[in-house]
Amino acid sequence: MPPDVSPLAPVRLPLEQRAEAEALFTSIGEGAISTDEFGRITRINPVAQSILGYKESELLGEWFPKKIVAVTADDIVVNLIDRPISKAFLTGRSISEKIFYRRKDGQKIPVAVSVSPILVDNKPLGAIEVFRDITLQEEVDRMKSEFISLASHQLRTPLSAIKTYSHMLVDGYMGKLTTTQKQSLRTIIGAADRMNELVSTLLNITRIESGTIAITPKQLHVDKIAEEVLKELSLPATDKNITLSLHCRDKSRAALKTDTLILKEILTNLVSNAIKYTPKGGTVTITVRPRAKDVLVHVNDTGWGIPKYAQDQVFSKFFRAPNIVKRETTGTGLGLYLVKGLVDALDGNIWFKSDEATGTNFYFTIPRTKQTSRRTRGQPLVASQQPETRPEDYS
Amino acid sequence: MARVLIVEDDKDLNNAYSIILKNEGHEVVSAFNGREALGKLKDFSPNLILLDLLMPIMGGLEFLQQYNLPKAHKDVKVLIFTNMENSPEVTEAYKLGAYRCIIKSWTAPHNLARVVTDALQAPTAAATT
Repeated sequence: MPPDVSPLAPVRLPLEQRAEAEALFTSIGEGAISTDEFGRITRINPVAQSILGYKESELLGEWFPKKIVAVTADDIVVNLIDRPISKAFLTGRSISEKIFYRRKDGQKIPVAVSVSPILVDNKPLGAIEVFRDITLQEEVDRMKSEFISLASHQLRTPLSAIKTYSHMLVDGYMGKLTTTQKQSLRTIIGAADRMNELVSTLLNITRIESGTIAITPKQLHVDKIAEEVLKELSLPATDKNITLSLHCRDKSRAALKTDTLILKEILTNLVSNAIKYTPKGGTVTITVRPRAKDVLVHVNDTGWGIPKYAQDQVFSKFFRAPNIVKRETTGTGLGLYLVKGLVDALDGNIWFKSDEATGTNFYFTIPRTKQTSRRTRGQPLVASQQPETRPEDYS
Repeated sequence: MARVLIVEDDKDLNNAYSIILKNEGHEVVSAFNGREALGKLKDFSPNLILLDLLMPIMGGLEFLQQYNLPKAHKDVKVLIFTNMENSPEVTEAYKLGAYRCIIKSWTAPHNLARVVTDALQAPTAAATT
């Protein structure tokens, strides 16, 4: 219900200032609405009228949250308390968000909103909301995601043929080969694997850096996702005689709402890294530990470890540990950079402990806080200069 | 030995999978899209289907919807062979009853043979986990 308030009080400004404010408001290239301290519309510029499909006369004096309905991506009406304008009034700070507005004709349009309270002596006298229609931007993002997904598939199809036929030749499906011929084919297979890895990583980094990685939270069990990842990576592990195992303390509490595909990508990267950098006969273990505010995931390996002097660069782009480069020439140095970006996208934290004698332990958290469907902002990832080592968080 | 239907639009890969599985002693029939596969299923009743997702004419997901795996063909295992790693399509395929998803660009022939054998030996009740 709209608040029971007195009639609109006229804004008292000197004539010159009022004309200047009016001109400024009208000429803003984005939709702009100003309200009084009760949220009633006092001004609406032409762009806002065009975006929302209302005439100025239909909106002036109306209670903004009631007249302009905001909805979520799932078409649920946004509560008054969750509207950006309410948050701006309550916090006294500027609020920027992406929501959907319903036009007069009922059409739902995505808008990027920025609302600031007008404060005089810390008292809100009103608010100004600036918003723009991001329908086209959303469409471009969707097309970009589709292109990336298709490109990923199309780049890999010829690689699959190269790899499968090379393997078939090595395995003697087309007759016996000499040792040198087999070695040459193994080189081709190795190169195809590297190309594959590069395609995966670059496509994922492109997604996250360009802001086209969509976050769609769904209720899931972290231990179930970990189980799926281990199942999918069982083949390379068997090839190296590496034992994969999963432990989960209190499975019933391992449920939370987050993005399934991103969580899977994080785990896939950490576990495949662990398999790759662990000598034959080793172990890779995932432990899922539900906690009050988050779920902590621990990926342990009995691998070669990361030297102390190189640990502050682990999440940097193109980082490869010097002890690993000597043993394993393949690898892009992008995997952990990507993992850090993905954990950040889910509002989690990641850190590690590593010892060249015993192996590496990666820890990451997925918060239980309410996550909403959104896209990551299109900004390059910032790699941590200092790893966040928090052994006390894990006991 | 088992009856296997390969549904893969890439002729080279379809041919390679066919050679590998015939070499293991399986009876193999090939189709190059979902619609062709549905046609072949009128005369061929497989124990296992090797299914690509992105194919022209009819893709893997549409094929799974029409084949009605969980209800009409409980005993048939479907292995998804795709390069669409961690995609919503893979999640959807699991929902439609796929047994396991394999990234084809990572899979060597001996692994393909092993995955097929494992799937054939696994109890049907364990499917889709």
